[in-house]
Amino acid sequence: MEFRCRINGEDIRLLGEPTERLRDVLYRTGYLSVRDSDDAEGFAGSDTIIFNGELKYSNFILLYQAEGAQIRTAEGLLSGRELNYVQKAMISAGIVASAYNAATAALILTWLLEKNPYPSREEIKEVLTSIFIRDAGYEHYYLAVKLAIELRDTGSYQSEIAPSFRPKLEIVGKPVDKIDGAALVSGEPVFVEDKVPANAWCLHVLRSPFASAYIKSIDISEAEKLDGVAAIITAENCPDVYYMQAGQGNPEPSPHDRRLFNRKVRHVGDRVAGIVARNKEIAYKAASLIKVEYEPTDAIFTVEEAMAEGAPLVHNGPVQYNAGAPADLDEFNARAGDEREGKVIYQFPLHANIQKNIAASNKGHIGDVDKGFEEADAIVDCTYQTTQIQHTPLEPHVCYAHVEGGRLVVNASTQVPYHLRRIVSWVCGIPENKIHVIKERVGGGYGSKQDILVEELTAYAAWKTGKPVYYRNTREEEFIANSTRHPMRCRVKMGGKKDGTITAIFMEVCANTGPYGNHCLTVPMNSCSKTLPLFKVDNMKYDLKVFYTNTPPAGAYQGYGTPKGTYGLMMAMAELAEKLGIDYKDMVSKNHVEEGYMLEILKGLGEGREGNVVPVGSCGLEEAIAKGCEMIDWGKKEVSDDPDWKIGKGFAMIMQGSGLPGLDHAEAIAKLETDGTVILNSGGADLGTGLDTISAKIVSEVLKLPMDRITVVSGDTDSCAFDTGSYASSGTFFSGNATLVATNNLKEKILAEAALQLEENVEDLDVRAPGEVYSKKTGACISYYKLTHTATSGGGRGQMIAHGSFVTAASSVPYGAHFAQVAVNIKTGEIKLQKFYALQDAGTPINPECALTQIYGAVMKSIGHSLYENMVLDKDGKCINANLTDYGAPMIGDAPDDFKSVLIDVDDKFGPFGAKSISEIACNGAAPAIGIAIHDACGVWIRSWPMTPEKILKELGKI
Amino acid sequence: MYDMKAYYESESVQHAVQLRLEHPEAHIIAGGSDVLVQMREGKRAGVELISIFMLDELRGVSIDEDENIRIGSLTSFSHITKDPIIQKYINVLGEAVDQVGGPQIRNIGTIGGNTCNGVTSADSASTLHAWEAIVELTGPNGVRRIPIKDFYIKAKVVDIREGEIQTAILIPKASYENTFGFYIKYAMRNALDIATNGCSVNVRLSEDKKTFERVRVAYGVAGPIPMRAPSAEEFINGKLVTMENIEAFANKVLEDINPRDSWRASKALRQHVAVESAKRCIIESVKRAGGTL
Repeated sequence: MEFRCRINGEDIRLLGEPTERLRDVLYRTGYLSVRDSDDAEGFAGSDTIIFNGELKYSNFILLYQAEGAQIRTAEGLLSGRELNYVQKAMISAGIVASAYNAATAALILTWLLEKNPYPSREEIKEVLTSIFIRDAGYEHYYLAVKLAIELRDTGSYQSEIAPSFRPKLEIVGKPVDKIDGAALVSGEPVFVEDKVPANAWCLHVLRSPFASAYIKSIDISEAEKLDGVAAIITAENCPDVYYMQAGQGNPEPSPHDRRLFNRKVRHVGDRVAGIVARNKEIAYKAASLIKVEYEPTDAIFTVEEAMAEGAPLVHNGPVQYNAGAPADLDEFNARAGDEREGKVIYQFPLHANIQKNIAASNKGHIGDVDKGFEEADAIVDCTYQTTQIQHTPLEPHVCYAHVEGGRLVVNASTQVPYHLRRIVSWVCGIPENKIHVIKERVGGGYGSKQDILVEELTAYAAWKTGKPVYYRNTREEEFIANSTRHPMRCRVKMGGKKDGTITAIFMEVCANTGPYGNHCLTVPMNSCSKTLPLFKVDNMKYDLKVFYTNTPPAGAYQGYGTPKGTYGLMMAMAELAEKLGIDYKDMVSKNHVEEGYMLEILKGLGEGREGNVVPVGSCGLEEAIAKGCEMIDWGKKEVSDDPDWKIGKGFAMIMQGSGLPGLDHAEAIAKLETDGTVILNSGGADLGTGLDTISAKIVSEVLKLPMDRITVVSGDTDSCAFDTGSYASSGTFFSGNATLVATNNLKEKILAEAALQLEENVEDLDVRAPGEVYSKKTGACISYYKLTHTATSGGGRGQMIAHGSFVTAASSVPYGAHFAQVAVNIKTGEIKLQKFYALQDAGTPINPECALTQIYGAVMKSIGHSLYENMVLDKDGKCINANLTDYGAPMIGDAPDDFKSVLIDVDDKFGPFGAKSISEIACNGAAPAIGIAIHDACGVWIRSWPMTPEKILKELGKI
Repeated sequence: MYDMKAYYESESVQHAVQLRLEHPEAHIIAGGSDVLVQMREGKRAGVELISIFMLDELRGVSIDEDENIRIGSLTSFSHITKDPIIQKYINVLGEAVDQVGGPQIRNIGTIGGNTCNGVTSADSASTLHAWEAIVELTGPNGVRRIPIKDFYIKAKVVDIREGEIQTAILIPKASYENTFGFYIKYAMRNALDIATNGCSVNVRLSEDKKTFERVRVAYGVAGPIPMRAPSAEEFINGKLVTMENIEAFANKVLEDINPRDSWRASKALRQHVAVESAKRCIIESVKRAGGTL
């Protein structure tokens, strides 16, 4: 049927069923900014439109109700290609990050400013209450409104957007609009979903209702007969290829413990069958016709259950090693169970024992901890439990794959295009040259898109059927069949002397990897390797074990294992300080590392191989602590007017890495085009954090070329060169350095060509703005345009193209300190975050405004895991809060009242222009800072996530 | 696409009644913010729906000839919060429904839907109970008015009979006159969360502001349906406005309420919070009534 309405001032006829969601019809009609990230749950706000002058969720409006309506969407904000003032200000403020909701947010703020030209902070907060922003946090939304008002009223910005760094550099270290900002904030077709043609087939996955069961039989005969079903893929007909879904360097430190489909299901939501059908309705019908006979087996959900004597085994098939097989392998395999268990294949030993549910383990030490504990005047020995947390990217996991010219083309929202290609190649059994992975804009990753969770199946479905195939996780599937933060139990024993010197630390970590071993060794190792090196302690020991269970799967999550280890260690140190009767800050100051301190502890903490023992490099830790203490007035007891509210302060030291030295690898190709502009092909995967902008700025800085003459093509496996991907905080450091190497090489070629064309010595030449070579000796000059034109006109020496490859053994570690001030209501247990100050040393922040918003976003996520978020499983292992409303991610109303990110100015030797990583580290501080502040406020230690009012009231003895 | 068998649009209240009689199995949909969410969860798969969305006569707040405050059932939450009559006489209701979701939901969700879904956690429910609202239902035999406490039968079941739709919620003059209230939604976070406990108290003080003439307290999420706390009310009515009496009143609510353990919160927490909220609500209500403590 046809319905008439006015959209963005234009008469439009919408076609569809009267009771269709208006959102779906608008999107289909070309209003791509009206997105859906909650499956019409009414939470995330991506589907917000202005309907007859009011903000409404278009998912809750039925098409027929739009008859005669006045509708506005973000598309209406543009004048031709020109963005409106709010959109421009949003880009400048650094909040157009992964940006799945950015266009909608621009619409909402524009509407607000039309009604209320000078809104208060409270009024801005009110309209943003129901728009979920997971990437950049909310703080710079206030800045964006301020900038928008300035732009509207005066034509330019008056406020400082972000501090600038490195006065000698032109563009690096200065706030400059993100290069993909305009496309993202205007609602252009930049995400995977926007690339799916109307004739695409749908892939639907039938999932297990059991946490653990053998599939006794599966009958797909009725389902296959349905018209419009192209294929049904199950354990009986899928490739017999074992792999893992973790996107890690090859050989991976994760076991190959699964196939596309397995004969044993290991969690509620595990794959049972994949149905390729012409549309969803047919796919659902087909799913209902598949007859599966399950043989349920006992399931386990906690590490305690997994380690118990006689526990049911999650994997109990034969084991293979591609390297380093133990001598007793045959004996071990003789004890393997039912053949439906499948195999587990290790690329190298992970010190696993699947017959004890151990997926991986590691231990090591320096010094003598027993002696250290003997020397201590006081010892604490406490256990800290963290929970299962989901990333909740606004854009769920999504993939579109089709076959073209005999090749498999995969449009993906991924952090790891090359790992993705490799795994698709393994699963489909086709070589990598036959696969083209195109990384689209990523609508939120946070580690979950480091794993190949949907792409390998979608690609295989397209390859097998020859159909164009589209797959998109429902929000529920995002929780139950995706990737989550590993729950961990972290025991910390710490001893110290009366003067505050820590004499020994022992960390015992038990992690829960769920049914498959994605990142099973490396995430838990991070809880030690990115925490213990903060301490100048001679006696340290760690012992970690990772267990398989039947929970929803775990994997990489921003911060990796570090937030959990930091929570345990810092809380334990605060508990020890209390026991010793000394100030926590004095204890921190006494024991933290400084530049030059040799980190012996790293020896055992490599990613499955021997770690690099290096000294502490550039380090802003001390400054971060000092400045933070000053900002929060450390040591001053704050008192509330209301005696029920008690106020306390806390802080935590934090660190991370900048990629994985010796493992990560990045490449880039820089080309001088025929008019003197540059196209840079970077293997790096910008996941919304601004990596492409960093690449462009590096080219601009080196070649003195304006930003608009540089285009970055990235994450495309056909046109770019290999890059391990964006994870482990490697983007700026590795991909950025590869760009720097490529650009320096291009500069050399430019100078060499110019020397020939100008007939000068290359040593006398240099480049200068706006893109020319000049002679320091003669003053002669030649533009890049002329240079390249001559080189590419018949008889020239050819286009100037340079390649850069970057690997390193150097380690550039970002440091910081996060401070919290909380108010705790001792009657109701409520916790208010009054202040949060995040101080970080990111080396040279290349995009300072994006660096700040990355910190705000990461802190918000970690406030979430500290106070609210938790996947709750029922006794059968089913997640009972697998939706955004019940799950509990924080939104603007939960942001700290006074929230500041501060970039500590430290230069680094190894990073591109001195840059280190920024975002993962920012996930590490909130839990301990808040936990310590809660204790300071009301005297109780909350040793598990989430730190809820209920736990506080229990500890206070009120309930 | 929502999975529905049929969808009927009402053109008038009488038409809605007729549709209800013709399609007794059909569910009623108003703004859609509850029904459509449940349908996407597959809870009402394949249902027939009768929409009353277009019945503009059910929108708006007025004072009727008997001086009742009359709130049309399709009045949205945001409308209620902004309405001058509500702000003048029963501001606490506007404050309570302002805690539902965010602006996008409050522009869609209706007071009728919020009550007809029979959910204990509905933000309007405790305040409507505390103010002894009257629910107006229109059916084949005309209009039927019942006290809200009788409207809620059990969890998710309300007293809507064959052929009826809810057309208004009334607050009688005797209920709102010289009465001041306060509502506390206790939730685990500020962002779009469902209440762990909702407490609404209102007071009418004696002329000298020293005595509680009438105190009413009602809860959401303290039992399967919203409920009053009669023992607590009985205790405090006629007593002096003192902290001792308030403390005793608040502790008394435990005799009336019956919250349960759930994954969101334990019974112990809900009981504890019910007491603390009652205390704070009555203190704030006294302040609003011009009393001092």
